[in-house]
Amino acid sequence: MKVSYNWLREFVDITTSPEEVAARLALTGTNIASIEKGAHGAVIDAEITSNRPDCLGMIGIAREAAAAYRLPLKTISAKPAESAATKASDAISVKIEAPDLCGRFTARVIRGVKVQPSPQWLKDRLEAAGTASINNVVDISNYVMLETGHPLHTFDYDLVRNHSIVVRRAKAGEKIRTLDGIERTLDPSICTVCDGDGSRSVGIGGIMGGGETEISFSTKSVLIECAWFDPIAIRRAARSLRLHTEASMRFGRGADPETADLASRRAAELILQLAGGELFSGVVDLYPGKRVPKKITLTRRELLRIMGADVPDKDIEAILSSLGFAPVRSDQNGGSINSLLAAWECTQPSWRAEVEREIDLIEEVARVYGLSHFPPRLPAARLGAARLPHYEAEMRLRERLIGLGYHEILTIPHVAEDRNELFRPAETSPAKLSNPLSEEASVLKSTGAVTMAGAIEWNLNHGQRNARLFEIGSHYRFVKGKPVETRILTVGATGAVRAQALYDAPRDYGFADLKGDLDAIGALSGGLRWEQGGPDWLNPLRRGAISLGKESGPSLGYAGQLGKRAAEKFKFRQDVFLAEIELGPLYCMYYGVKNSRRYEPLPRFPGVERDFSLFLADGVTFAQVQQIIWSLAIPEVASIEAADLFRGKNVPAGKFSLLVRVVFQSREATLTESQINEFSSRIVAALEQNLGATLRAS
Amino acid sequence: MSTTPDSKLSQPLASLGISSADGVQSLFAEVRSRFDMDAARVTDEASFKAFRDTWLARKSGVITLITDNWLKPASPDVKRLVGAALNELRAHVDSQIEAHRRAVETGVESAATAKDRVDLSLPGVIRPIGSHHLIRTVMQEIEDIFFSIGFSVVEGPEIETPYYNFEALNIPEHHPVRDDMDTFYLDVADDTPGKLLLRTHTSPVQIRTMEKRQPPVRVIVPGKVYRRDNPDATHSFMFHQIEGLAVDTDITFCDFTGTIEYFVKQFFGESVKTRFRPSYFPFTEPSVEFDVSCIFCGGTGSGASGVVCGKCKGSGWIELFGAGMVDPAVYGFVNYDPKKVSGFAFGMGMDRLAMLKYGIDDLQVFFQNDVRFLRQFP
Repeated sequence: MKVSYNWLREFVDITTSPEEVAARLALTGTNIASIEKGAHGAVIDAEITSNRPDCLGMIGIAREAAAAYRLPLKTISAKPAESAATKASDAISVKIEAPDLCGRFTARVIRGVKVQPSPQWLKDRLEAAGTASINNVVDISNYVMLETGHPLHTFDYDLVRNHSIVVRRAKAGEKIRTLDGIERTLDPSICTVCDGDGSRSVGIGGIMGGGETEISFSTKSVLIECAWFDPIAIRRAARSLRLHTEASMRFGRGADPETADLASRRAAELILQLAGGELFSGVVDLYPGKRVPKKITLTRRELLRIMGADVPDKDIEAILSSLGFAPVRSDQNGGSINSLLAAWECTQPSWRAEVEREIDLIEEVARVYGLSHFPPRLPAARLGAARLPHYEAEMRLRERLIGLGYHEILTIPHVAEDRNELFRPAETSPAKLSNPLSEEASVLKSTGAVTMAGAIEWNLNHGQRNARLFEIGSHYRFVKGKPVETRILTVGATGAVRAQALYDAPRDYGFADLKGDLDAIGALSGGLRWEQGGPDWLNPLRRGAISLGKESGPSLGYAGQLGKRAAEKFKFRQDVFLAEIELGPLYCMYYGVKNSRRYEPLPRFPGVERDFSLFLADGVTFAQVQQIIWSLAIPEVASIEAADLFRGKNVPAGKFSLLVRVVFQSREATLTESQINEFSSRIVAALEQNLGATLRAS
Repeated sequence: MSTTPDSKLSQPLASLGISSADGVQSLFAEVRSRFDMDAARVTDEASFKAFRDTWLARKSGVITLITDNWLKPASPDVKRLVGAALNELRAHVDSQIEAHRRAVETGVESAATAKDRVDLSLPGVIRPIGSHHLIRTVMQEIEDIFFSIGFSVVEGPEIETPYYNFEALNIPEHHPVRDDMDTFYLDVADDTPGKLLLRTHTSPVQIRTMEKRQPPVRVIVPGKVYRRDNPDATHSFMFHQIEGLAVDTDITFCDFTGTIEYFVKQFFGESVKTRFRPSYFPFTEPSVEFDVSCIFCGGTGSGASGVVCGKCKGSGWIELFGAGMVDPAVYGFVNYDPKKVSGFAFGMGMDRLAMLKYGIDDLQVFFQNDVRFLRQFP
């Protein structure tokens, strides 16, 4: 709503600058977007919130300013001179067939007008408000709308068939050519204004008039329609027709039915003044939607309970009076000033339909009184505060990953469907949007991998070859028709794990880096179990399925090198590694492991290391070697590690060389050489027998 | 190198004809001056070692010889004199030799060749360390501030029903506010009852929280929210909000403004000025927009060299977020008694707060995840 400062001053005797007025309005509830100095004085651009249709007219803004400055408001009084000869009711008949859509319809007729360009002052007013000038009659209807906030429509009276108006629901598929020249198709939820026998639509009620009865320079007589339409129906109609007009905005938010007649008189007065003619006496006024003004009581007790600080009687009364609520003291202690028991019975003004409850009055008083009058204080806490249940587990996970060199990322979960399909497990259903902004963002990610791959793609496309990333977020799936959001960790890495540097040789990120880093976070939850498996978009030779716990435990996810098909789709020309694990079970286990962790006394006797350099057949796993050694049940075996792995020179074909390091440790005594030799030979014998291992000659 | 003939050291005092205090004294003075001369000749590690051995070697050092030859065979009277003089000499020798040892060692180091010295301007071994996402950092910061004044942290689903996202927040169907929150809907199977949408704000969690617990309630809700806006420098169809809700039997507007002021001063600094402007939201009443003095121009409205501050467009104020006292209508949806309880709620955009605090002018950088951006905020 563009508010001309000069126009505003016709209603309130403001003496301060436009900037000061704008600032005052802003602090009492009218949001100000900007102030512009135009050719016709300052124009304040007010952003009117949807609850304040009354402020979509100059009089409404003026009422706000009057309340803020405690100045009297000069109201509009329109008393157009009526011709004694003819009555409006003889000139026009009106029938409302849809009173649920049209709550009031007033009609006035002026004969013998001269349609011509508007005088300069009117053009200037409209220009300042951002409205184009058309002709004096149309301009007047726009002017009155800007002034009163109430839309009105003017017809060429002589083109209205039978001088008869019927307001009804549109028929399904009914067509009308609106003033903008576009043919529109209506439906029965839309209110249409018809002429003659009611078969021809000459306007979409409260939205836009029709072309057939438009005012032109040859128009001789004018029918002034000033009506009231149901806000919800108007909003629905404007949306379905995609036709948002100044009128539909005002009716859609809720115009004041009481103002309809005033606006009609005001328009008639101005037409007589600027276009001449003769106004038929009286008005045709159908008002099925007349409302009884609500009574609302404001009590000081409630004001104090909500606001926490008081407002004196005189301010409460002045504010409510200037806003039109006509407050009357209604408590037993009526004479006692600032009594804690004070109560005021207020009457809802017709232009403030949204003010219905005591809390609404409290807001009115507080905002005009000034919110800065309520002193800030911190409330007393009556409860302990709690973090999210997984707060600590997630924080430690995050810190550990960052320490391991990964950057945390956040991605938008909307992805292209074809990309999502690359990773989506076949047994799950995707969460598709019914109204996406674009094909590239039409489905919510079914996996963390798809947006992680996208983040790596961004970095590679922007010259960043080395990236180690992780995201803690959700994937979105439908399970049995219900949406499921699952908290997951996604890890992605590509490029060098170590660049060429002073003390380091360069090395590319590999599967072992991913596995080691995941194990480092898995250790917080008691360790991960790796098994063959994983989705088919991972390279089958370099992937694994991850579970929690040593023997049994919930499946968590998978890790590996991105397979060829997906890598080609993303045009990756270097190896990319991805892992995705579910965080719920991991967090759950974090607390279990943490709470059951107990001190283990340090051994008093030294441990002894023994290395076994083995030749093993390809396909034999380290896990098998460990299993064989553990199964000997030698209590002194403290750990079994792989210390070196080698293929090639000096290793027979079909075999590989594995250096296994076993640590022997006794809690009772220092181990003797002969004890260790005995353990060692048992180990070697078992490995030979079960795995065909041979000791490599050193 | 000795002025005291070794022959003297190898004979008992009796043989040297010394039995008086004066005699002992002058003899020890002679030894001491010999020691000082020796000490003066120490120049490097080798001469230091020879010097040290001459005097302190266990078998034939001067101190040992004096002990064996002068002290032990002496008559009791003389022994007392010799003992005292020897102790004095020994203390002198020990301290001097220690001093020379240090001097020589330092000298040896400084004489070491330059090739062995570390170049402190070279970096150490660099272990690449990752970074926190800036939104997470800001989220944590905000969470910590509210946690410190008694707010618990809760979460809720991003895929919501219209009931929680709109209706229960006093936004019935066809409410104009729905037009301002352009909403993504999910394409649901025919057997799914009702529509599903991506929440347009974190406010549904207010309802979910109040459904589960009775007052007092004091929570904040961080999370992702979605609006169907075309992306640009200040819009993204996914962004982050942090919701706050406090409901109790005695929460007032003053408690509300006090809480918000406390937060913003913790977050932006004590010098920031604040103001509350009346506004409108269907689920709060009174509703406010909360502004802080512009962090870029200090609230003056003009930037460097007097031009109009581009961030606050010269107003000196920056709009931060909307908030207010919980509308009593909302309590009706969660079976709270609006006559007994009152409270406040707020919802702030974390991305916007992060942009303001760290001077970021393009919202999109948060979600592109370029490592050059990520590294800037470790």
